[in-house]
Amino acid sequence: MTELIEHTTATATGPTVELSMQQALNRALRTLLSEDGETLVFGEDVGALGGVFRVTDGLQKEFGADRVFDTPLAESAIMGMSVGLAMNGWRPVPELQFDGFAYPAVDQIVNQVARMNYRTRGTVPMPVTLRLPSFGGIQAPEHHGESLEALFAHTPGLKVAVPSDPGEAYRLLLQSVRCDDPVVFMEPKARYWDRRPVELGEPADPVGTSRIVRPGRHGTLIAWGAMVHRCLQVAELAAEDGVDLEVLDLRWLSPLDTEGLAASVRRTKRAVVVHEAPLTAGLGAEVATRVTDACFGDLAAPVQRVTGFDVPYPAGPLEPQYLPTADRVLLAVQRTLEY
Amino acid sequence: MSAKLTDDVAMRYADLRPGSPADAVPVLLLHGFGTHFEMNWRAAGWVQALEAEGLRVIGPDLRGHGGSDKPTDDGAYLPERFTQDLVALLDRLDVDRVDVVGYSMGSRLAWDLALRAPGRVRRLVLGGFGPNDAFAGTDLNAPGEGESPFDAVFRTVSALPGNDQAALAACARGQAARPFRSEPAPEGIPFLLVAGANDPLATGAGELARDRGGSHVEISGRDHANAVSSRVFRQVAVDFLVED
Amino acid sequence: MAEEHVTFHLPDLGEGLVEATVLDWEAAVGDGVARNDPLVEMETTKSAVVIPSPHEGRVVELHAAPDEVVRVGAPLVTFAVAAPDRPAAGIVGTVPEKEERPRRRVRLTPPDE
Repeated sequence: MTELIEHTTATATGPTVELSMQQALNRALRTLLSEDGETLVFGEDVGALGGVFRVTDGLQKEFGADRVFDTPLAESAIMGMSVGLAMNGWRPVPELQFDGFAYPAVDQIVNQVARMNYRTRGTVPMPVTLRLPSFGGIQAPEHHGESLEALFAHTPGLKVAVPSDPGEAYRLLLQSVRCDDPVVFMEPKARYWDRRPVELGEPADPVGTSRIVRPGRHGTLIAWGAMVHRCLQVAELAAEDGVDLEVLDLRWLSPLDTEGLAASVRRTKRAVVVHEAPLTAGLGAEVATRVTDACFGDLAAPVQRVTGFDVPYPAGPLEPQYLPTADRVLLAVQRTLEY
Repeated sequence: MSAKLTDDVAMRYADLRPGSPADAVPVLLLHGFGTHFEMNWRAAGWVQALEAEGLRVIGPDLRGHGGSDKPTDDGAYLPERFTQDLVALLDRLDVDRVDVVGYSMGSRLAWDLALRAPGRVRRLVLGGFGPNDAFAGTDLNAPGEGESPFDAVFRTVSALPGNDQAALAACARGQAARPFRSEPAPEGIPFLLVAGANDPLATGAGELARDRGGSHVEISGRDHANAVSSRVFRQVAVDFLVED
Repeated sequence: MAEEHVTFHLPDLGEGLVEATVLDWEAAVGDGVARNDPLVEMETTKSAVVIPSPHEGRVVELHAAPDEVVRVGAPLVTFAVAAPDRPAAGIVGTVPEKEERPRRRVRLTPPDE
């Protein structure tokens, strides 16, 4: 069973502890609930059960059922309630249990949460952070694994964050909830059990910046969420062939870090963007366009995309055929090398 | 499966074949009045118990019951109509000989089958059954309205989903038109009588067994409704069927 | 493998039935049972049934004695069952396997520098 989450106190400098992404998110929520009495955590099974992925484990017991509570199985109501709470000074952190369940709440997210600040000329901010267990990799049934990042990144007024490891999850969630703009916080389900040392400190990088997780000379692999790890694996394999790849974790999909992308690709001259979502009108197209626009004269080859296929997200047993494999990424890299 | 075997009355039946040895005699399960194969036998643990012995189970829904057709004329339910159905079923399945386990009305029909087609029956297990008139004290023009043991049974089963009260009443009258006689008894077919100690419909079972050379087991604390699922019943029946 | 206790509650019997009477247990405390083994014989106002075991494990506690009436949803029996070694993924999906080096067929040619 899931390990119990031990209590430690997070400080500004922060001790380093080994945590899974679930536990790191739990720590961040505990920090946020402690520092701001207006912060509320709610959703389906987040209270008594502690969330189907254990992210909210123990929070109701610690902070009470007024601040951490279960909702009916009604995603539109969860997001509609978030709007009302935010208008009245609360800082809601709703969870929609699986990304596929976000569709019934798209009206509330797109028409209300994303627009309220704009509609009221900045007088009614929406400090809502929607926690959305996202993407594939756990062989779940239909509607339990999707890749909705392009939909949310395409919606003006929303910020979109995707952590790729436990430390990032801790820091990005602190930033998202403290931000007065609405954030769709997409947690990669496939990485929930990934354990790493986490420094429980304050976030240092500004909102909207990417990060280089592996420096390299011959090309840049651009990814977010679980695909960052796929790209790190590919970089290891490429190194065996004498090809030195950089891996860039985009992590904020809105706003997009055009400067960070351009700085990396100007050095490496080649770019491959990797995501789980289907190819057509996926976020890879936006990334490729920005990179091309900013680095046209420096590029040694057209920007390549390695993505899921243009089919509905498949049920669990077909995931390995759908998600980008190491070989598919390597082929794209080879195309940029041969161009 | 479902088949029209005789006079255009379709019969639903189960034919469950585990890896039974070729020479093992299949078991024909005949349910009681107002129930059906799934309810009387499978839900009460019988299919699992027999399959555990590697035995093939043949389980019809008798006419007027379960998924079989439900005519409403009394004549469709004379005992010989049922035995015609059963012989036709065995023919269809190409089965020469079976052991028959009945409960209540199914026991009475098993007895009739053994009399009319003695070559098709090897052994008989008769549950919830006695030689006395099952309909004693019942006004069969208005079954379920009196206080006889059969009235109580009729009230319970006619409320079950899927049952047709008119068909059940016709069935009761058809059966009653041929009162049970313990003479003659099936020749050379060993039989076992099993009933709950508190089952008024099985009164006289002990005497019947004694007079006709059968065995008799009484299950303490059980009545007509709940003896059928008893582990003791299942065990003595299986032992009786598999002994050499 | 670790053990955990799982309690089986009397399921909805359908047809508006709200309770059932225990006739006889077919397993005793301490017995090992396989999934679908006969577990308990119960009677409703409609019929008598044998409920098969929903789990493979060891019987730890029987919550009702013979002749006792059990409401739908009330605990019937507690089993000790083998607990999975790996953390479970909640209600759906599976925990990803420990990462291994991915299989590769594609080889790269380094660029001229």
